Amino acid sequence: MAETVDTPDTPPSDPQTERALEVVRSALPEAVVASELSGRHPWIQVRVEDLRAACRLLRDEPTLQMDCCHLISGVDWPEAAEIEVVYHLCSYSLKPPAAYGRRAEKNDPWIALKVRVPRDQAEVPTVMDIWTGADWHERETWDLVGVRFTGRRELRRVLLPDDWPGHPLRKDWEFPASYHGVPIIPPEGL
Amino acid sequence: MSDVPETGLSDLRGAGLPESEFILDPELQESVILSTVQWVKDWGRRNALWPMAFGLACCAMEMMATAATKYDLDRFGAGVFRASPRQSDLMIVAGTLSHKMAPRLRRLWEQMPDPKYVIAMGACVIGGGPYSKFGYHVVQGVDLIVPVDVYLPGCPPRPEALIDGIRKLQLRIEKRSGESLQTILDKSKGVGAA
Amino acid sequence: MADAPDLLSGGEPEGTTHIHERQELVGRDVRTEEMVFNMGPQHPATHGVLRVAVKTDGEYVRALQPHVGNIHRCVEKIGESVPYYQWVPYLDRMDYLAAMCNEHVGCMAIEQLGEIEVPERAEYIRIIVVELQRILSHLMAIGVYGLDLGAFTPFLHQFRERERGMDLLDHLSGGRLLYHYIRIGGVKRDVSRDWLDELEAFLADVEKRMPEYNTLLLHNHVFQERTFHVGIIDRDTAVRWGVTGPALRAAGVDWDCRRDAPYSIYDRFDFEVPHGVSDIGGEVGDCYQRHWIRVREVEESLKIIRQALAGLPEGPVMGRVPKGFKPKPGEVYVRGENPRGELACYMVSVGKSDKAWRARCRGPSFSNIACITEVSEGLLIGDLVSLIGSLDIVLGEVDR
Repeated sequence: MAETVDTPDTPPSDPQTERALEVVRSALPEAVVASELSGRHPWIQVRVEDLRAACRLLRDEPTLQMDCCHLISGVDWPEAAEIEVVYHLCSYSLKPPAAYGRRAEKNDPWIALKVRVPRDQAEVPTVMDIWTGADWHERETWDLVGVRFTGRRELRRVLLPDDWPGHPLRKDWEFPASYHGVPIIPPEGL
Repeated sequence: MSDVPETGLSDLRGAGLPESEFILDPELQESVILSTVQWVKDWGRRNALWPMAFGLACCAMEMMATAATKYDLDRFGAGVFRASPRQSDLMIVAGTLSHKMAPRLRRLWEQMPDPKYVIAMGACVIGGGPYSKFGYHVVQGVDLIVPVDVYLPGCPPRPEALIDGIRKLQLRIEKRSGESLQTILDKSKGVGAA
Repeated sequence: MADAPDLLSGGEPEGTTHIHERQELVGRDVRTEEMVFNMGPQHPATHGVLRVAVKTDGEYVRALQPHVGNIHRCVEKIGESVPYYQWVPYLDRMDYLAAMCNEHVGCMAIEQLGEIEVPERAEYIRIIVVELQRILSHLMAIGVYGLDLGAFTPFLHQFRERERGMDLLDHLSGGRLLYHYIRIGGVKRDVSRDWLDELEAFLADVEKRMPEYNTLLLHNHVFQERTFHVGIIDRDTAVRWGVTGPALRAAGVDWDCRRDAPYSIYDRFDFEVPHGVSDIGGEVGDCYQRHWIRVREVEESLKIIRQALAGLPEGPVMGRVPKGFKPKPGEVYVRGENPRGELACYMVSVGKSDKAWRARCRGPSFSNIACITEVSEGLLIGDLVSLIGSLDIVLGEVDR
């Protein structure tokens, strides 16, 4: 786990992420698996089973009020045999603290929340009931990365046709030879 | 029905005038051009192309720019953009064609009445363009789906290029009927001289 | 003939209902049938290839489901497959009406990943071209919205300014629509004194012509009737669905990334952020207010460009970018305010590679269009066109 103490040697930690970590830790002591508080992209990784509770906390916490799920992305890590799902949350209700604005590292008050699931059984509970806008992002993550979101209404593909083979952003995905009779030339063929 | 009067035509027939005198009449020569019906039809077609506004992506913006104030496609008789395929005879496929869209494009093309023409506008519909290598969802050329008359390279092609493409298509339609206006005029004069 | 009732003579046959009774009947007993139909993907009012499956009851929308993906162009896959510098032109093609803004956000993300410094002059030139692009994009949105509502004239008029602006960017980059002008580390070419003079003349003309366009649309009674109280996206709905940009501000949220989470050098400029208020007409969050926000943002962009022109420093326009650029392992998340909303780039690098491990983009139109499932209920079909038009979506960005 990253060092959270602010000493002259370590870069300054991000106030939003620090606050979020406190909130999640105090309510769910077991939830946080790892975290990174400084740098350009601070993040908090939680256990999959605590994801929904952590999301609720961050949304309802009056000092954070993360009322918008800005983006959900899936990242494939074949070497670790894991898929990482990253939630970028932000708030439109609270103005950013005055400390933001001219910070060199990260001057944008969003929070990144991560979960990691095994690659062959990528299932993550939905957050659609917490942020309605997560609906399409979850569908897109299923479509392109192949993460199955459970507990929500029908999870259909959003961009690709329903009968498309596989999930293209998995690193081991192979180009199909054709789709409904129309040839697809693989990259090596050109 | 029996008491309908005789028409003027039957009077002429009755007069037994030889056909050659009709044609040699100098006044008629000035005002009548003899031609084939095919040529007249094609003349109308090429000067009044009704394109279907089939905008898919970036190129559609240039297609709109061509139809708008500065470039004014109406000057070439092709500015009446129709929303319905059944009212149009030219499909300007402007933008990237994806596998999801391909069956719909085919269907819209089939809905257009004959004779119909297709302009493939932009690199993407010619052969996949910048997406040809890793774009798994991009059809590598609209000619895999429908026959294409004119290819317009560019990403996106400038409005001048689209106007040039439409002019090329008009020449193509003219060529199909075999004769240009000048040949027809010459022929018509030739009949008169003989 | 004699047996037929004499309808013209004024005598009423038995069983005739009076007109006021008939009106009651219409209200009470006549039921229209539910019907499901598809709007698009080839439809002039869906701004591209959006397909909307609409369930109607008579002329009213009961439920609706947008179907997207008709121009999914695999930008994220390409981002993993080509070197960073080759990915930038693909960003242009995502939101083809705001290519400069996309390049700006994408380049910022890559620069943060590789810790590349951008020279001061390049930053100023970036702001100038990005705001110029915003003006052009909003002009297009204003004109095309008129087209959607049946007014052809504003569309033709705005193209006069738009063509001039596109010529300016053409002189700078060589492309009318897609530029690849902003590069990693700076911008491709320096601007000339002549170009800057031309730009100033253009800005003066836009300022002069905006009131003219406003008489055509914003202050037009017919336009107001079509947009007042139509397609209301309130504050709660907008935030929950992740709606951003003019649609979010029209809902009354006073938020603009350029001011509240300043990226690039936006913190040096003084400008206002318009947001929906009830005293300009209509209702907070309706189609009229979204249109009004765009008109106001054009004026604010003019202000920003003038300030940037005044402060434009001398110097190089390209920073030091290592050859065979391979950033260290790490990740960045950068968001920027595009004409349509917040574009965000999430990039992951694993190091020792000139390609990104993951290049994810958040298209603002993607979230904006998702919310119409909720707000369109109970609208007339004609007003649905008004709603979709006022969101000003670009399908290239929805599908990426």
